[in-house]
Amino acid sequence: MSNMIQVKNVSKEFKKVIKEPGLKGSVKSLFHKKTEIVKAVDNISFEVEEGEVLGFIGPNGAGKSTAIKMLTGILTPTSGEIIINGQVPYKNRKKYVKEIGVVFGQRTQLWWDLPLSETFTVLKEIYQIEDKAFKQRMDFLNQVLDLEPFVTSPVRTLSLGQRMRADIAASMIHNPKVLFLDEPTIGLDVVVKDNIRKAIAEINKNEKTTIILTTHDLSDIELLCKRIVMIDKGKKVYDGDLDHMKEKYGKMREIHITLKSDNDINKLSFAEKFGLTGDDIDIALDGKKAVVKFNSSKAQVSELLSYILSTITVKDIAVGEADIEEIIRRLYKGNENDETAHGNAAAVEA
Amino acid sequence: MMRFFRLYKTFVVQQLKQLMEYRVDFLTGATSFLVGQITNIVFISIIFSQIPHLQGFDYYEIIFIYGFSLVPKGIDHLFTDNLWKVAWFIVRKGNFDKYLTRPINPLLHVIMETLQFDALGELLTGIVLMIIASIKLGINYRFGNVALMLLAFAFGTVIYAAIKIAGAALALWIKSSGSILQVFYMSSDFAKYPVTIYNSAVRNIITYIVPFAFTAYYPASYILRGNDPWFCFGVGTAIAAVLLTLAILLWNRGLRAYESAGS
Ligand SMILES: Nc1ncnc2c1ncn2[C@@H]1O[C@H](COP(=O)(O)OP(=O)(O)O)[C@@H](O)[C@H]1O
Ligand SMILES: [Mg+2]
Repeated sequence: MSNMIQVKNVSKEFKKVIKEPGLKGSVKSLFHKKTEIVKAVDNISFEVEEGEVLGFIGPNGAGKSTAIKMLTGILTPTSGEIIINGQVPYKNRKKYVKEIGVVFGQRTQLWWDLPLSETFTVLKEIYQIEDKAFKQRMDFLNQVLDLEPFVTSPVRTLSLGQRMRADIAASMIHNPKVLFLDEPTIGLDVVVKDNIRKAIAEINKNEKTTIILTTHDLSDIELLCKRIVMIDKGKKVYDGDLDHMKEKYGKMREIHITLKSDNDINKLSFAEKFGLTGDDIDIALDGKKAVVKFNSSKAQVSELLSYILSTITVKDIAVGEADIEEIIRRLYKGNENDETAHGNAAAVEA
Repeated sequence: MMRFFRLYKTFVVQQLKQLMEYRVDFLTGATSFLVGQITNIVFISIIFSQIPHLQGFDYYEIIFIYGFSLVPKGIDHLFTDNLWKVAWFIVRKGNFDKYLTRPINPLLHVIMETLQFDALGELLTGIVLMIIASIKLGINYRFGNVALMLLAFAFGTVIYAAIKIAGAALALWIKSSGSILQVFYMSSDFAKYPVTIYNSAVRNIITYIVPFAFTAYYPASYILRGNDPWFCFGVGTAIAAVLLTLAILLWNRGLRAYESAGS
């Protein structure tokens, strides 16, 4: 059994009540509810091998949390099949959750008023961990997540970064085979994000834990995952190698410029100088701030930078990577082209 | 079962530790409750100084029933207060998910998590009132009626807990059911007085629908006047058992229907 996680044609629909505005609307809705069906996850399939780290990536509202809730047994799929660690998550839930760990970055699973150390004491009892195993476990988690400095503080007094480390530790206390992390770096600053990523990587390396982590931040994925599944509006739009995807769709880079004077930007001609036209370039101007997005496989970042700096005077200049929305936009373009070429609009397989 | 008690003990120890830390909170909570109870008693006293016999019940009999009603209510309040939070906001805020990712029964988990020590004020008031009334009325306690009284405290507590479980279960569908639960829970105030003062509609409701009459008046009336024990305790036990079963069934259906909270 090398596939730890098997997900087959899974969908989840939510019924949403449409509220009409005003008092009349609320009275009306008492008798006659108008509902609308939201397909939060739409016919998704994928598999994850034991010990693999899979990045589940997509913009806000894509359906990542809904997918994680189905994988962890919190929600029952509307249709489709899930088998994880040889079990169906939403059936025999109590047995299933003994061998998984779950972290929701947006809300803590810890007890707000308990000191962290006491939280672990309670979890020890919940998961029925032997004293000796518990001690070893705490030592390991302490070393990886550096809990010592705040282990006696009540959870409510922890910073967001500390709380996230504590939450990850709590989800690992019973040595789970599979770990689900829903946006484990959300709201954290760069340094803390980096620490968390390193800890997750170390846990995976040491324990061979299978990990699925969701994020809308591409940089999370780079350190942690070789393989990603990208979803958008509930549908899987990409499943495969991260590098391959970046090569194909993610070559867009951004140069952020703060101009000295507004119309300086017109002095730049990227088409003439670098042959960047059509989809390969996009310039957005907002007051004195300009963002130049361009395809870095057609022109070098350094060349563009020196061209800009030698042509106009700028107050500030910075280089960034294209964000996930940009990649998805290009991915759809890519799929459309594939469609005309091979008559295949399905998810792109690497 | 052993495991359940060990786990419960762990939760209780945590609660006690916190109680030590927030002693002041506890004292203010319990004091404000005591003040509330005393106001109630004064209120009853005023009514009774005007009408010394309410439908054939004398002052200390009313006090006895009133005190009796506080005991199961207090025990339930002590143990299952977290259900209110489920009804009001735990589901709505998306914090119910965590109970489903732990290898214990979610209902037990919710209940074990909190001990509401404020309830001790309620309990104490109830017991003191019952003692005073018993002395004044010269109630003769024997093994038989003490055992029945303890039974009544038990099924009375179950009735309260069942209503709260059912009320909290609704939140699993509608996200927030605090106000609905409150309406039902408030009807327990009717149970503090002899049910004979109400018209038959109210009486039937608090006997068979939201059977709070079994949490005080019926069992107390046996102790006071020897009313039919089969009805007061037999039917009471049966109704409590049925109600709890229905509440747990509703809760389990709620778990299956549970859709988490959208972000
Ligand atoms: N419990 C729910 N009830 C109704 N709609 C929901 C619920 N959970 C999520 N949704 C909807 O499903 C879609 C996907 O949400 P979610 O899975 O939270 O996305 P993500 O985690 O990728 O941001 C959104 O449109 C959201 O509003
Ligand atoms: Mg989410």
